[in-house]
Amino acid sequence: MRRKNICLAWLALQLFFITAISVRQLGWLIANGLTVIPLSRSSTASPAEKEGSTTPKQSRPNPAKQILVGYLHCAGIEGAYGFFAPNVPESYKLAFEFHNRDGSVDDDLPSVDSRAAELRLGSLLDAIGRSDSERYRRILIRMLTAAAWENHPEAVSVHAVFGKLKLPGPIETERGVTPSYEFIAAYDFERPAPK
Amino acid sequence: MSSSRLTISNDLRRNSKVLPCSREWFFPSTSDRWLSILRIGLAVQLLLYAFSIHGDWIYLLSGTGRGLVSRDFAEALLSLESPLIPRLGWLVNAGKQLGVSEPTLLDLSWYGLIVASLFVLVGLFCRPAAIAAWLIHLSAVKSGGLVTYGVDALTTTGLFYLALSPLPDRFSLDRFWRKKIAGSQLLGFWRRVLQLHLCLIYFFSRLTKALGRDWWNGMNLWRSVTRPPFDLIPVETLVRFKYFFPIAGVAVLLLEIGYPFLIWPGRIGRRWLLAILVMHAGIGLAMGMYLFASVMIILNLAAFGPGKLWRDNGTREDAGRAISPGVA
Repeated sequence: MRRKNICLAWLALQLFFITAISVRQLGWLIANGLTVIPLSRSSTASPAEKEGSTTPKQSRPNPAKQILVGYLHCAGIEGAYGFFAPNVPESYKLAFEFHNRDGSVDDDLPSVDSRAAELRLGSLLDAIGRSDSERYRRILIRMLTAAAWENHPEAVSVHAVFGKLKLPGPIETERGVTPSYEFIAAYDFERPAPK
Repeated sequence: MSSSRLTISNDLRRNSKVLPCSREWFFPSTSDRWLSILRIGLAVQLLLYAFSIHGDWIYLLSGTGRGLVSRDFAEALLSLESPLIPRLGWLVNAGKQLGVSEPTLLDLSWYGLIVASLFVLVGLFCRPAAIAAWLIHLSAVKSGGLVTYGVDALTTTGLFYLALSPLPDRFSLDRFWRKKIAGSQLLGFWRRVLQLHLCLIYFFSRLTKALGRDWWNGMNLWRSVTRPPFDLIPVETLVRFKYFFPIAGVAVLLLEIGYPFLIWPGRIGRRWLLAILVMHAGIGLAMGMYLFASVMIILNLAAFGPGKLWRDNGTREDAGRAISPGVA
């Protein structure tokens, strides 16, 4: 009987965590005006958001919180189940222009070998596109650029362009409208001098 | 005074009748067939995951300057959340002390995942193998946190429940020398955990989507299948079915939001389960999300398959053979 009660208590806690995380995400989406529920972002934004802060304030580590977060990750329940919700996000694209020493330019894209990894790369580009932090975006694009640079050993500099793919709806597609790209940001990187 | 005492004692008596009854619902007698499906299914899922990503394994999980994105960066972000989350960096750092290179250790982790998955598949040293598979998969997923998506969390959850469930099941090799099997009530409890978790997944996933306008008019469904990298079907073909998208969008919405309520009753539940399985297979084929489709199909089949799609006829036999007292 005692083991049954322990099992039930654990289950209640587990379901509470799943529900709480999902409700929290739902609340965030509503508060940020991303759903059909009319609620302006300005009326609900937290003080940190109002100040334009994009990084969480550094707080002292809380062991209980760390254990809890560790458990949530281990159980695979740290995130809510809002895949493609409330709306399917835009598709993002990163393109490189590698400038060689002789003045020629090579175009390239971030690439992986397999279809499975391609889905993961798409997920990364989505995360870069969704991020409000310019610093975070720059760091990740720099990493992707460095990886692509391996295929262009002669290049001395690179121009990386990050954009959003605007997809036409079915009616526009029928009319012959094709997908277009919307510029988001561009970055220039120089090959670091050898030490 | 005496009447209030009487009321309290009546309440207690009533509660004492209700509690075991409600507890029974969480501990139904069930066979271990669902556990066999979960074990074999997740082992296959892990093998598919590992082989599908083999060519890019080191590229996706390498440290700074050697891969697509830095594992060190992903792990630093992870440490901000909690330093207790398992990661491949622990293995790499330990290996460096022994003079083993990072690519070798990453290769070893891939082979470790394959071996653990094969052990889970055949049911040899079920629980240690399930724990090892869960830990290696979790570490890889967390270290590659920048390149993960929904399938990883769902696989982690499935493996987490598998590692905690009363293994071994009747189809595992462990049963040749380990005669003790778990009580059917304990098996029933872990199956209930999986069932309730799935209900919450569908409910919240669909509730969040229902709040997006474009899921009701089919636009989101259209975007899902036309945006890269999910654009497997030519847009010229899709546009012929433009009137199908709003209907399909609402149907999927109702199917998922009704899941927690209608998956339980007999015939409706069976049809609901079949519809959900068809939906996931369709998503997998139309969008190329094969791993996502397969993990959802495995979790659904394990949670609701026995008893709905085929008879869960091992219950009585198991209850009679159960040596371990289970949780009672």
